[in-house]
Amino acid sequence: MSARREIIAAPAGAPDPSQRGSPPASPAVRACDFIFVSGLTAVDLQTGERVSGTTASETRVILVNLKQLLEAAGSSLDRVVKVNVLIHSMLEAPNMNEVYARHFPDPPPARTVCGARLPEGVKVIIECTALA
Amino acid sequence: MREIIAAPFPGLDLRQHYGHHQSPAVRAGGLIFCSGMLPVDPHTGERHHGTLTSEAHVVLGNLKLLLESAGSSLDRLVQVHALIYDSIEYDVLNRVYRQYVAHGPPARTVWTAQIEAGFKIALDAIAAA
Repeated sequence: MSARREIIAAPAGAPDPSQRGSPPASPAVRACDFIFVSGLTAVDLQTGERVSGTTASETRVILVNLKQLLEAAGSSLDRVVKVNVLIHSMLEAPNMNEVYARHFPDPPPARTVCGARLPEGVKVIIECTALA
Repeated sequence: MREIIAAPFPGLDLRQHYGHHQSPAVRAGGLIFCSGMLPVDPHTGERHHGTLTSEAHVVLGNLKLLLESAGSSLDRLVQVHALIYDSIEYDVLNRVYRQYVAHGPPARTVWTAQIEAGFKIALDAIAAA
């Protein structure tokens, strides 16, 4: 018995993996009552351009985009079960957390935060798993 | 219900070869959760150190063998965590990775980490059963 697997398309403007030069990842995949969302970086959804800023400002852009992505897929931030946050320096964790707390409902989902060296000068990457 | 997926080839049994206290994969709730995949020879378990490109080919080949033995496939991947030793190799990873996920790639996150035994890549994956 095979479980259903469905690719969730990018909202308008977001990087589309079928386009040349885009990373080989789908924005999100739905399977078995869950939506698995790729690690998001701060991107302007109108232009598709990267938005470089502070850890706090990149976090805000990512979470606004994440909300839009989840809602377009029929889910929402209050259906998120687990979040992984990667930041370029753990010294920035409080700055990320302050913005994060304003976007997620209370009680918030499970979360892991860790410092990591991220590709291409990115300061924050956020990925999550949500109920479909 | 939780079902342990055995190694389809002896080299993929990292518990037997290296004492890692882990199963190759576990099926649960319609999903298959794979242990971190490493560039080891699927028949002998020998470590295949090389370039990120060569290691990535071995890792993705091993993941293919493991998923197919469990009745799934690379086309049914839903989420991948790609750990690489240096973020400068991001484009190199993409070049190899793209060849294995041609049909609607899974959600993915890439970051840099220290990987066991000095390997350049490890993949952590969840697939639809």
